[in-house]
Amino acid sequence: MLTFLILAAVMVAGAIGVITLRQPIHAALALVGTLLTLAVTYITLEAHFLAAIQVIVYAGAIMVLFLFVIMLLNVERQRPTPRWTWFKPTATAIGLLGAVAIAFVLFTDRQPLPGADTISGVLQGGNAEQIGTVLFSDYLLAFHLVGVLLLTGIIGAVSLVQRATPADPARGAVTARHGGTQHDGDGQPEIVEREKVSA
Amino acid sequence: MVATEYYVALSAVLFGLGAVGFITRRSAILMFLSVELMLNAANLAMIAYARQWTTAGGSQALQGQGAVFIILAVAAAEVAVGLGILVAIFRNRASTDVDLLSEVRA
Repeated sequence: MLTFLILAAVMVAGAIGVITLRQPIHAALALVGTLLTLAVTYITLEAHFLAAIQVIVYAGAIMVLFLFVIMLLNVERQRPTPRWTWFKPTATAIGLLGAVAIAFVLFTDRQPLPGADTISGVLQGGNAEQIGTVLFSDYLLAFHLVGVLLLTGIIGAVSLVQRATPADPARGAVTARHGGTQHDGDGQPEIVEREKVSA
Repeated sequence: MVATEYYVALSAVLFGLGAVGFITRRSAILMFLSVELMLNAANLAMIAYARQWTTAGGSQALQGQGAVFIILAVAAAEVAVGLGILVAIFRNRASTDVDLLSEVRA
């Protein structure tokens, strides 16, 4: 219960940070905190596979994408950060303290690794296997649709972000002359047209 | 073992916070973050119910976790396309403030 309360407190604090913090980077980092505590909560709910997926996909991939886009878009809105003179020594001290604590525990309280039999016994019929069974039996249609959806997402993202380079006038001229239908894929002609108009 | 009700209540709190953020935020990126929060709240509720169903000895115990897996994939696709749209909008407008995008309406 105590674990749950601590996790819930951190999670709600992160969520409040997401909806109140002014800098988008800070909001995104608060969401990363919420997602990581959610992963720990999944472990307490005996969903170990999904906890790992949560860390890898959400905190690892999706939030990195968010941070990339935020940094890409908000360059000019960035105010200069205040100079914190205490910041650097404090960070150094915390890092050193953590390293010393880990080394201390490592050398004073040695735990032998469990044998290979124990580990494979735990993994036998594990969470991932059961989820795989569910995905490939009950959710078979949804699983296939998700594959189609991800492919659509990839194509959509690429065609949205792609644009004709201004340094390549030959291609722009060709697409303009032919109405942009033959040479390029879908989405390309409109982007070329819009670029020319705005230029 | 913490009762399922607490997890569902926490999920409701997270979902509510995400909804409030979605309504109050102006920047499209921050609205996206709030949507992610709401999706994760739904995932938490689903996993909590999956554990409840498993301990109750349900026949299809892990369906909730399978659904969470699919929601994760959908969220990934949504973020990829959504952020692509945001970058495209930003190129034309130099802003992601949704209040300034009202002429997108048909």
